[in-house]
Amino acid sequence: MRRETIEAALRASKADYTEIRIEESESTRVAFRGPDLETADVVLDRGGFVRCLVHGGGWGIATFNDVSDLKQRIEQAYEGARAIQAEPIELADIPVSEEDVKVPLDNDFRHIGLTEKKSLAEAYNDTLLTFDARIVDTHTSYVDTFKRVVFANSEGTYFAEERPMINVAFSAVAREDGDVQRAFEAISKVAGFDAVRDHHALVETVAQRAVDLLSAPAVEGRRYPVICNPRMAGVFAHEAFGHLSEADFVYENPQAQKMMVLGRRFGRDILTIADDGSIAGLRGTHKYDDEGTPTGRTDLIKDGVLVGRLHSRETAAKMDEEPTGNGRATGYRHPPIVRMTNTFIEGGETSFEDMISDIELGVYACDAFGGQTALENFSFSAAYGYMIRNGEIAELVRDVVLSGNLFVTLQHIDAVGDDFQWAEWGRCGKGQGGLTVSMGAPHVRIQDVLIGGE
Amino acid sequence: MLDRLMQSAEQAEVFEISSEATKIGFTANRLKSFEVEETQGMAARVLVDGKLGFAASSDITAVDKLVQNVLESARYGDQVALRFPEPQPGPTVQVYDAQLATLSTDRLIEMGEEMIEIVREADEQASVSIDLTRRVRQTTVRNSRGVETVAKKAPLSIMLQVERVRGDDVVTLFEYFTTATLDRSYRRFVRRIAEKLRLARRAASLSSGRMPVLFSPNGAPVLGLPIIHGLNGKNVYRGISPMAGQEGERLFDERLTVVDDPTLDGRPGSSSHDDEGVPRQRNVLIDQGRLTGFIYDLKTAALAGTEPTGNGERGLFSPPSPAFSNIIVEAGELSVDEIVAGIDEGLLVESPLGLGQGNVISGAFSNNLSLAFKIEGGKILGRVKDVSVAGNIYQDMQHIEALSSESEWVYGGIQLPYMLLPELNVVTRD
Repeated sequence: MRRETIEAALRASKADYTEIRIEESESTRVAFRGPDLETADVVLDRGGFVRCLVHGGGWGIATFNDVSDLKQRIEQAYEGARAIQAEPIELADIPVSEEDVKVPLDNDFRHIGLTEKKSLAEAYNDTLLTFDARIVDTHTSYVDTFKRVVFANSEGTYFAEERPMINVAFSAVAREDGDVQRAFEAISKVAGFDAVRDHHALVETVAQRAVDLLSAPAVEGRRYPVICNPRMAGVFAHEAFGHLSEADFVYENPQAQKMMVLGRRFGRDILTIADDGSIAGLRGTHKYDDEGTPTGRTDLIKDGVLVGRLHSRETAAKMDEEPTGNGRATGYRHPPIVRMTNTFIEGGETSFEDMISDIELGVYACDAFGGQTALENFSFSAAYGYMIRNGEIAELVRDVVLSGNLFVTLQHIDAVGDDFQWAEWGRCGKGQGGLTVSMGAPHVRIQDVLIGGE
Repeated sequence: MLDRLMQSAEQAEVFEISSEATKIGFTANRLKSFEVEETQGMAARVLVDGKLGFAASSDITAVDKLVQNVLESARYGDQVALRFPEPQPGPTVQVYDAQLATLSTDRLIEMGEEMIEIVREADEQASVSIDLTRRVRQTTVRNSRGVETVAKKAPLSIMLQVERVRGDDVVTLFEYFTTATLDRSYRRFVRRIAEKLRLARRAASLSSGRMPVLFSPNGAPVLGLPIIHGLNGKNVYRGISPMAGQEGERLFDERLTVVDDPTLDGRPGSSSHDDEGVPRQRNVLIDQGRLTGFIYDLKTAALAGTEPTGNGERGLFSPPSPAFSNIIVEAGELSVDEIVAGIDEGLLVESPLGLGQGNVISGAFSNNLSLAFKIEGGKILGRVKDVSVAGNIYQDMQHIEALSSESEWVYGGIQLPYMLLPELNVVTRD
């Protein structure tokens, strides 16, 4: 879409504030389920989002696939804003930006044919299928998406940003005597085609783990000292703590503000948690968020103390704090809301050996199938785990589900590892559903965690 | 479009979707946004040399590219013995209520305000956010064998989120309601939420152990999800459903009957044909504990060498796959009060966390509970925090103590009674 068309539509708006976001994307997808190809296809998605504010009204929003008449869409949004009486909505000031953000890719996946993409997925799938007779089912997928977002608002900001993403995911299901176990790995990056090649060794670990889990006992439910591997700890940072630091949870709720008051101690000195949407190559990275605010680092917990939170322009204005570049939308169907980008527990000083050596009986929780939080309560399923016995990693166990209360659990983090790493994938399901994020952490030890299990 | 595809294909199908919606948003007890949404898109499938191709686009002007993409996709597709269906009549179902389709913005706002008031009467510190969406959605399936089925629905959906913070004590509820008929049932939905908040004001403590656990309709998907996965033809064909090959066997307590019913008037999950033009039908899948069937779409049925059951569902960007229309678990005979009255000490599961995490297909579940209550001496005593339940449905549902006579629709398309399991593993902090 031409810049003049968008700017002309903005100029014609009668609203006090107007923004337009147009998104166009093309995705190539290859998916195998067992020996069968589910699909090898290309889908095109194009749509737009318009949002208006008028004095004394609320947000008026229009979303659409037919982008041929932007002026009419703005008119619809303007009428929507006028149709409701609402508390005045203010937006925090941000710099006016103008930029065309290109993301160059080595070996750009757009220049690779479907033949090669299908062969790659098929080879990974064959590795899973032929690994062991007990592997009865697989999911192997390849997805690349090249998205271009154009954002413009009535304050003069205009940017176009490329948002490419490439993913491969492998999942294996092993079955023996009616028992079914699953293992999963994925790689997801802002990168070209080479990033998803040559991962057969990783694929084999998936098949091996699914088979090994068949003979693994379920963990015995009780409280344990737990070491989370970096991926599990990253999910913990995102799910258990990150969501509470999103300002839309507190900005209209005085009781919640009291609970999340800056300066409150949440953990020991060793604990620092931050969010940073500006780190090159990660899934949660963009130059600008979906309101045009530049992204950057925001410390949430520093040396154990709550020091910051994540904002959109609206929540920042309401709380008289600075916008942080966390107004993100899942796509053109959705308004930007406060979301995390790349959230992490900063690396510490304890080696893994020191962390484990004094645990008599504990659990080593690895990777997360998923996590969910109801603010103070959380629940995470580890993809697999090991018992820790007398300071050493012992037998593989399954059905490791960590649950507990956030405030108690953060205080119980008593060792932070020196081996920080980013996870290769991450998705957040808040509100509008799947948004790409990254999570990172070193190994982290938590005392006295409730592990559910039979 | 069909004609163009048939120049190169043996069989072809075009799926079109269009919808218009109006959405009213309340945030933290206050009216916040008004949204209009327009959706359109087109997907195509073809069989060329017996190989299946798929493509989709939300830009309906990009017809050339869609044709090119779907034929390209078929070059790489697998051989599938799939035949698109012939035109066949389906059941008559009412899912378009003109009154609902034209519901005014003012009325939507009134409904939202009314719901906030009901919740805040139960707890004045509750922060309520609501999205009310009125939608008219039309999908059309056309294929080269002459099928042309049009499904027009007007669902009303309500997403309601409550947060109540007192000190470090937090209650959060996230609930979903949908209907295709305009009635007062949304009030019952919101009153139940208010009742939960009221009950949550009192705290209770519970020790770990094995005890009777009563699942409310909202909590019962902990048990239902593995069944939903297990009955899906795709998991059966792949051999990962523990129910595969067990048709005719009694797998659960005879109190359990599970039906997929797309013929119910007023339910958004209902329709006369599925998204592949196959007639819908009511299917009993578990009959008094005995496994009687699975659900299939066209492709999965073709692969498995069985008949499609009218359960092919799709979004714009994905090929069809087997999905339930409305899942009904048949109700029992005792009232909820009678069931509670019979429990000396136990747990009432209201809101589970982590649904769908873990090894669902195996039947194993282990869920922390964001909202659960202690039952003592036949009464609901108060909220228990930091509690989780665990088990495996294939063992633990061998015996179901009771199902309530009352049922509710939860998560959109699932109708469930309260379900009492006599003994389940409960882990708490105490």
